[in-house]
Amino acid sequence: MQPLERLVNLVALLLETRTPLTFDQIRSKLTEAYGHEDVNSAKRMFERDKDILRDIGVPIEVRSVDVWEAEQGYTIPRDRYYLPEITFTPEEISALLVAARAAGDRSAEDAVRTLLSGAEGGIMSALAGSTGAIGGARDARLPAVGEAVASLRRIRFSYRTARGDTSERVVDAYGLVLRGGRWYVVGRDVARDEIRSFRLSRFASDVADEGDGSEPPDGFRAADHVQAGPWGPGEAKTAAVVAFSPEVAWLATKGVAAAEAIGTREDGWTLVRVPWQPGESLAGWVLSFGPDAEALEPPELRDEIVSRLEAALAAV
Amino acid sequence: MPRSDGARTAPRKASERLRRLLVVVPYLVRHPGTPVDEAMELFGVSEQELLDDLDLLFVSGLPPYGPGDLIDVDVQDGRIWIGMADYFSRPLRPMRAEALALYLQGTELAETPGLEEAPALSSALDKLAGALGPDALGGLPARVAATAGSEVEWLEDLRRATTERERLRIEYHALSTAETTKREIDPEEVFVALGNWYVAAWDHRSDAERLFRADRIRSVARTGERFEPRGLEGAGRPLYTRGDEDLDVRLRLSPDARWVAEYYETTSVSELDDGGLEIALPARRLEWLERLLLRLGADAQVVEPKELKDRVAELARRTRKRYV
Repeated sequence: MQPLERLVNLVALLLETRTPLTFDQIRSKLTEAYGHEDVNSAKRMFERDKDILRDIGVPIEVRSVDVWEAEQGYTIPRDRYYLPEITFTPEEISALLVAARAAGDRSAEDAVRTLLSGAEGGIMSALAGSTGAIGGARDARLPAVGEAVASLRRIRFSYRTARGDTSERVVDAYGLVLRGGRWYVVGRDVARDEIRSFRLSRFASDVADEGDGSEPPDGFRAADHVQAGPWGPGEAKTAAVVAFSPEVAWLATKGVAAAEAIGTREDGWTLVRVPWQPGESLAGWVLSFGPDAEALEPPELRDEIVSRLEAALAAV
Repeated sequence: MPRSDGARTAPRKASERLRRLLVVVPYLVRHPGTPVDEAMELFGVSEQELLDDLDLLFVSGLPPYGPGDLIDVDVQDGRIWIGMADYFSRPLRPMRAEALALYLQGTELAETPGLEEAPALSSALDKLAGALGPDALGGLPARVAATAGSEVEWLEDLRRATTERERLRIEYHALSTAETTKREIDPEEVFVALGNWYVAAWDHRSDAERLFRADRIRSVARTGERFEPRGLEGAGRPLYTRGDEDLDVRLRLSPDARWVAEYYETTSVSELDDGGLEIALPARRLEWLERLLLRLGADAQVVEPKELKDRVAELARRTRKRYV
């Protein structure tokens, strides 16, 4: 008998039974599978099969079948085995497939396959009309960090800061933030006792699980702790005004989501309001437009740009 | 992405086949008469593998294996019917790691602005989170915050021109030259990669295939002219390819400017004693580098070519004139 056939029959039997079945009962029902004379080798085969089933996510419960708890019975609880009824439109299923395939991630695609049976007809035509989305290199640590956030675990990893310093971090994972196409995990840095954000692309090691983490503080919002734009994390409280030449004004307002055109100067330059907090790095962004941009307000921003230009000229 | 599933010849492990069976069979039970090729496409399986698995189902079922206890499989005219498999009429749940991976990838793609599938994807993820509950996803759905990128103009026009094979006249800002120029393009494919939209097109200005990022297109005008597609490489093409005429640029970066090495394609990176980096990167044009260096200021030094150093100084002088 083929191993696969044996496994299918075992799943069917344990799903169908109303009461847990002992090994002897299983053996007598699946004679072709476990009925051979050597009981020990049959039992070993059964143990191996049970491990295979657990590996692929089949929940097998073990319960005592007598009051003396001498004998164990096995069953597959239906509510833990079966996917709950979820009905998807063809568009929804096709969108899930596009997402899983764009990532090139086999496990995401396997998850979609389990959902297919709840799909209404017409998947193929929905798929045929779908967008060509291609993925790039995804963050290999996203699944492990996702698991840590899902169960509020404590994790350990090696992290490289933007300055290039690498150090070991132990963090209670609280939340995940996707911003500007990059994933960040936000959590309590245990050694520093502070809430920090970490960009997944700067992880320099795999993620090790360190046991239970902690509960996030009341009112915690992960997004408040991640750099939101050229002005830094959270929502900017003040704003800068920058003038852009007609050549680049359209580009400048597209680049920053919260940038807003507020008027036109006499020379045709567009005035743009950009959220900004003192001490943040807006100067670099303005300078990247060269002579096509001029910072107008506040004076500190203007001063910083002038002193950076002076330094550049002095270095020549 | 090339798929190796169909080409694999070695027999798959029993566990892998079992897992697939527990997922394929419910689909076939609920969609009677599914075409074989549809099942192959959806489940990433070859015809032979599928038929082998179905063959095995013929002899499966519950004891005592009388004619009424065996699963009934019928493959006719390229379509599949399965009966008598009530306990396999609903699929096995996805494993936790699979469900998490799907939820996160889906969330990422759903926030891509301009993606036609985004609303369907969001509602599918909501249904998934609602139905699977904490067993599969833990507290994840409440703890993920994703913000959509900015809206992308012109996507509709680009898509229509791609479908209708209409030549377009665009104004495009090329980062490499820091210039906005007018050109005619024959768009063949519109796609999203790493959160940005691109159009792969034949560019009549350079007489070559080019990728254009949709958010750097200033305007799009229709020409009413049709074109014959040339079968461009499109989405499969690398975003940057080195050309023979590229210059070798060497920069010294301070620790604060190390991000440059992550952000741009480099040919060599070496550590410096002060925690900074020396990098080499190929460049066809220097205009974008002038602006990058102006932005970096004291955090970067040009090692070579000298021409670049001079051009940065010139750009600094011109920019300085704005602040008088």
